[in-house]
Amino acid sequence: MLLGYVGGRTQRGDYVLSAERSIYAVFFLLVLASLGIVSAFLGDKFEYWYIASYSNREMEFFYKVTGLWAGQRGSLLFWAVILAFFSALCVFLNRKKNREFMPYVAGVLQTILTFFLVVLLFADVNPFEQLAFTPANGQGLNPQLQNYWMTIHPPTLYLGFTAFTIPFAFAVAALLNGRLDARWIQLTRRWILLSWLFLAVGIIFGMRWAYEELGWGGYWFWDPVENASLLPWLTATAFLHSIQIQENRGMLKVWNMSLVLLTFLLTIFATFLTRSGLIESVHSFAQELKIAYIFLSFMGVVLLACILLIIYRLPKLQSENSIQSFLSRESAFLFNNLILLGAAFAVFWGTIFPLVAEGVTGEQVSVGPPFFEKVNFPIGLVLLALAGIGPVIAWRRATKRNLQKNFQIPIMVGCFVAIALWIGGARHGLALVTWSVCAFVLTVIATEFWKGTRARARIEGEGFAVALFHLVTRNRRRWGGYIVHVGIVMIYFAFAGAAYNVDERQHVLPGDQINITSPFGHIYTLTYEGLSVSLNRGQRNLLWQAIATVSVEQDGVAKGILTTEKRQYVTSDQLMTEVGIRSTVREDLYLILSAMDDVDGALSANSSAQGIDLQVLVKPFVLWIWAGGLILALGTVIALWPSVDRRRRSKRPELEAVTTGVPEIAGAAR
Amino acid sequence: MKKDSRFMVGLVSVAAVVSYLIWTGVSETMVYYLTPVELMEKVESDRTFHEEGVKVSGQVLPGTYQRVDGELLHTFVVRDLVDESVTFPVEFRDALPDTFTDDTEVVLEGRLRGDGVFEAETLLTKCGSRYEAAPEDLAG
Repeated sequence: MLLGYVGGRTQRGDYVLSAERSIYAVFFLLVLASLGIVSAFLGDKFEYWYIASYSNREMEFFYKVTGLWAGQRGSLLFWAVILAFFSALCVFLNRKKNREFMPYVAGVLQTILTFFLVVLLFADVNPFEQLAFTPANGQGLNPQLQNYWMTIHPPTLYLGFTAFTIPFAFAVAALLNGRLDARWIQLTRRWILLSWLFLAVGIIFGMRWAYEELGWGGYWFWDPVENASLLPWLTATAFLHSIQIQENRGMLKVWNMSLVLLTFLLTIFATFLTRSGLIESVHSFAQELKIAYIFLSFMGVVLLACILLIIYRLPKLQSENSIQSFLSRESAFLFNNLILLGAAFAVFWGTIFPLVAEGVTGEQVSVGPPFFEKVNFPIGLVLLALAGIGPVIAWRRATKRNLQKNFQIPIMVGCFVAIALWIGGARHGLALVTWSVCAFVLTVIATEFWKGTRARARIEGEGFAVALFHLVTRNRRRWGGYIVHVGIVMIYFAFAGAAYNVDERQHVLPGDQINITSPFGHIYTLTYEGLSVSLNRGQRNLLWQAIATVSVEQDGVAKGILTTEKRQYVTSDQLMTEVGIRSTVREDLYLILSAMDDVDGALSANSSAQGIDLQVLVKPFVLWIWAGGLILALGTVIALWPSVDRRRRSKRPELEAVTTGVPEIAGAAR
Repeated sequence: MKKDSRFMVGLVSVAAVVSYLIWTGVSETMVYYLTPVELMEKVESDRTFHEEGVKVSGQVLPGTYQRVDGELLHTFVVRDLVDESVTFPVEFRDALPDTFTDDTEVVLEGRLRGDGVFEAETLLTKCGSRYEAAPEDLAG
């Protein structure tokens, strides 16, 4: 561990090699430490506080291994190990290139690694802390966390958080060595995309977990922890867009530096918030005082150091161009940035507002989901519209002709969709607007694909499918970005469906029927068949399980059986609800066993004791969220994928890759 | 440079719109977050406070939880975390979260009716730190 400190300090001159090697060493040592924790989990070593808290003898092998990131202490270690992995990878990949950056990069990475090691060792969160006694068994993992999505959700987010450290390190290196053109951005573009991808996918995994496991039928609650993961994603999205302006037009240099700094700080903030109860109340703050102070002062120091560096380099950060017109791509991108930051600020403010208000007025107040919805719905809509405008509006100055040519048809399609939906009976204003904006954006993107493919097919004489394939593979960055936008549109489309959620609760006895009209007009007939309670059916850890069976008919046609259940685990005095979900392209039918009249009576198969409260939700388009997530990931991977044709790439610097945009292809099409 | 200043107007107006949204959002959706003791004091000094939506945190009094069969209604008594003599009955007509047991700490959102019964619209349980266990319990 000492090597970390030494390496961090010796970032200059002849010590470069030792600094880089020390990163490998830290990585190796952290891997050993993590293996230590995992083997302690597997060996049921309950003398360790961490193992006793998150495992027990009965737990499955899978959850024992993943116990490494089940709690705060292990998470921090896990975090450090991923950071060390990325750092080592970055150093390894750049061992022969970019030498003007690397010493500084290694130094910054070491400083951050050192910080995490200090936290692990000195902030009372050492995962190897021993208890004064050895308990016979551990407490076990909260059953709600024993879910596939929950197992992969945190590490995915952590990968996203930590991957962003690399662009940050390069940004600081650029500030230190004075190479302040777009070089550092080009070098880290893949890291930024990688980080963004993991963040996005991690957030969606979390939504999926909440939807399947928490049993209230929602996927987002504007919980402080959720917000904390959303914040860096929003600023990283802004960054991804604004760097394109720097690359193409040499503007916004200070802005980009600030965004990379902000995003990095937000990833640290998220780490800190996710595993502490800070926001819930100031009282829990006291318990975590030490770690909170360490984190806050680290963030303060980083912020201060970076601001000083930016000020020092201000003369070199001047824009090479200025914005010439309101109606230009620069300005659309800038608005996208401002609005994303506005959304991030609104979310941040809503999250910390209770703390601020209590500090100022002494009275505790709270803002909940209604606040976030009220603020973010309009912001989100403008953002969505910009996703349609940004890609096709001309750089520098858009002419009337450019606007007319590109937007006439999409706007008409948007209006047409709105009118069609209105005639079709949709009356929810916000949902209508969202859907028509979705249609607008999709039309813009589809037109781009169509134009590009047609032009290519004509010039190169290729078949249509081949032309489309080549179009995308020859400029992955641009077309991958469009595919990401399609994914985002799908997710928006699905969110708006929530306006048509149906929610019914009823007390039912075996044989009772519930009729539910879906927003699409068809009728579900649900027949409650009964409640079967069974004592521990051989599954380890389970005390009893009560399964309610419901048969589903749609417009009189049998559609099979859904079950929803309550479980009691040995290790927890909480009940667990398992919901029943039937997903279709149009809507999800979501059943929740809310409460049971008499569990003991139901065990004796007494049908009069089998009464339950059944909650039935019909949720349109939920499937599209997950599908949109897949498309989004696909688009990002396309944009990320290293160019196959290296020769071509070296001839044509990446800079050009973006500029070969609309004008050329549109020109060729003429 | 004239173009730049026109652009600044754009920036400022975006900032203004976002701040306006946040400001109205906060003032329209903000609710007091009180302890039962504070709630009782507020209600005593101002009767109209019965109409006000509030958020209250307290502890479920063990043994008071009842489910009214067939009516989708849950009732229980909540007491102040510090002053055990301050209590009020609660009615809740939604599904209880799995983390609810009859001695958990809960955060309720709703209003205290004139008859002294708290009508809760949402109920959250407060599990100390999120899903964190306290191994000290194992010592016993």
